[in-house]
Amino acid sequence: MPTPGQLALLIFAIVIFAIGGAASVLRLQGEPSRRLLLAKQCLYWGLLVSVAVLIWHCITRGSWIPLEDNFDAMLWLAILLTAFVLYVQTTKPVEGIDWFIMPIVILLLVAAVIFGREKPRLYTLQTWAWVHRVTAYGGAVAFVVAGAVGAMYLITNARLRNRLVVTGGTNFGSLERLEHFTRVSVTLGFALLTIGLITGVVEILHRPGSNPLGRDWFFHPIVLLTLGVWVIYALVLHAPINPAFRGRRAAMLSIVGLVLMIGAIIAVQWMPKTGGH
Amino acid sequence: MHRLLMLGLSHATADLATREKFAFNPDQQREVLEQFKEKFPGCEAVLLCTCNRVELYAATKTLNDPPIEELTSFLCASRGVRPEEFASHWYHRSERAVVHHLFTVVSSLDSMVLGESQILGQVREAYDLAHQQNVTGSLLNPLFQRALAVGKQVMSETQLGAGRLSVASVAIDYARRIFDHFDDKTVLNIGAGEMAELVLQHLKELNPGQLLLCNRSVSRAEELSRRFGGRTASLDELDELLVAADIVVTSTGASEPIITRARFEKLLKARRYRPIFIIDIAMPRDVEPSIEKLENVYLYNLDHLQQVVSQTQSQRKDAIAAAQQIVLDQVDSFISWHRRRELGPLIDSLYQKYHRIAQEEIERTLNKLPNTTAAEKEHLQELARRIVNKLLHDPMRMLKNAEGTHGPPAQYLHAMEKLFGLTETPEQPPDSEPK
Repeated sequence: MPTPGQLALLIFAIVIFAIGGAASVLRLQGEPSRRLLLAKQCLYWGLLVSVAVLIWHCITRGSWIPLEDNFDAMLWLAILLTAFVLYVQTTKPVEGIDWFIMPIVILLLVAAVIFGREKPRLYTLQTWAWVHRVTAYGGAVAFVVAGAVGAMYLITNARLRNRLVVTGGTNFGSLERLEHFTRVSVTLGFALLTIGLITGVVEILHRPGSNPLGRDWFFHPIVLLTLGVWVIYALVLHAPINPAFRGRRAAMLSIVGLVLMIGAIIAVQWMPKTGGH
Repeated sequence: MHRLLMLGLSHATADLATREKFAFNPDQQREVLEQFKEKFPGCEAVLLCTCNRVELYAATKTLNDPPIEELTSFLCASRGVRPEEFASHWYHRSERAVVHHLFTVVSSLDSMVLGESQILGQVREAYDLAHQQNVTGSLLNPLFQRALAVGKQVMSETQLGAGRLSVASVAIDYARRIFDHFDDKTVLNIGAGEMAELVLQHLKELNPGQLLLCNRSVSRAEELSRRFGGRTASLDELDELLVAADIVVTSTGASEPIITRARFEKLLKARRYRPIFIIDIAMPRDVEPSIEKLENVYLYNLDHLQQVVSQTQSQRKDAIAAAQQIVLDQVDSFISWHRRRELGPLIDSLYQKYHRIAQEEIERTLNKLPNTTAAEKEHLQELARRIVNKLLHDPMRMLKNAEGTHGPPAQYLHAMEKLFGLTETPEQPPDSEPK
């Protein structure tokens, strides 16, 4: 369970990210270079503070194994997403990607503050269960990216169809690049989610009757939502065979997949507090 | 003390034929700057030559030396023309107006095409060249460095340089918003209109993987192929060409659309639904407008592209006020910095001179009063110091705030130098610092 000090520091990180986000959006109204610099600095400092909280949390609970509790899991997701934004912006910048991903990061950190204060779940440390969790959360990170970039694709596509003039920081990059990003994220996320699904099912089958999803586990919302996400991303990845699924359709599907995945994450929060999740 | 001068002619005052007479290539610029150094030793100069303007910026040591007429004659002589022939074309500025003019020019507010960024590079080149020739110094160096920074600031903080002003460059912008790289893309050109050639010229700069040229007249297609490279093809193969193409530029003289929706719809599967960017600049149009309803098809005609050009023009006009405000702020900032730098030594030398005189008078008086105590001596010295400070306070305040009511600040400075005899370097008594 996070200490009040850790929660305070995490709230500080949220404030930094929020200031950075505001600066990033406000750069459209003037002083773009100064505000962009402020936004970047906030991103770096927010990441640094979040990592500091993560390390502090690991020290206080006396374990360095990631994803052992809610607080840790949410923090990991937020850190990985922020690191991804920073990586993209320093290697092959995509204007405005932070507008789509950083709100999710802030929401994850807020969720960490809220759900992290509850009694931690009793995670089993079996390799099987741990692999299930890591792959499921890793897949979630990839799908957040795919969903955010998918939204950027739809906006860019609509602008091109309406022949809107785009200036300054609202140019999200070319459709081809955004589509490439979506495809790579979905491919990675799909692979991780598939492993997460298989390991999850194996875990349940190993504990018939005592698993946290109950006897009718197959109809549990988390299983149904995750299966839905899996099918949607399978369709997106189907594009090379059926190219009609490319472009706008793939972008829309990746957003629907993201919404379902958020539903699955929320479903996890409502599950019984003991057991494998 | 430095004085700033500028004389020049531009597209606003001289036609092309006149500007041609004063066109200098870089070698000629070097030669002129060398001559300037010899003729006006101790003066600084930068010669800015673009296709739209020729301007000589000079910083001189003393007021009206050399006078502007002499600089005009010098520039005319360097081109072998008589000054009176072009008298009506020249404009000149001095002091603050020079700073304002240069900042306006470098921000492209005075350019023929508002917001063009080329001028920034041209000013940099002119300054670099003068700097290499050792003809810039303590005034023109900071002036031009500040000017370049102002130009960048205007471009980054306003919409003055945003958008495109030609149909061809707008088309390229759209292509870049659809495709990330072009080395694996195929450009198909149908027809051979003038506008299409311009677009092709721009597209060629993107280094597309393949260029296909298709025209009713094979000889015209071959001519284009010689100019732009690429493979010529017959219109009979149009379906195959459309399957291969990622970007299509069409400008035939056909009276009916040659690319209809029915024709293109059949090709979608063979194209594997790849995005296609179609630029239809034919009149009447070559592409059926309903084609744009198809998935992954981006169709732009001449009107669409022209509309963007018009939007850019009006957007740039809207940004003028913001750009002018930046220029004005920066002019004030530079002038204030320059004045502080110029006034500092003058005020110092004035105070030093009068404190020295007061000190001498005090010494003379004290020699006549042998019974004066040390404390009394100190009181007298303090009295003299205070009188000098109070006498000089008002003129100094006026000088610092001089803003051209009766003439430019440089004239005040010049008058001060002459009135108070400050041109000779005064001796530096150790305790003569102003208080």
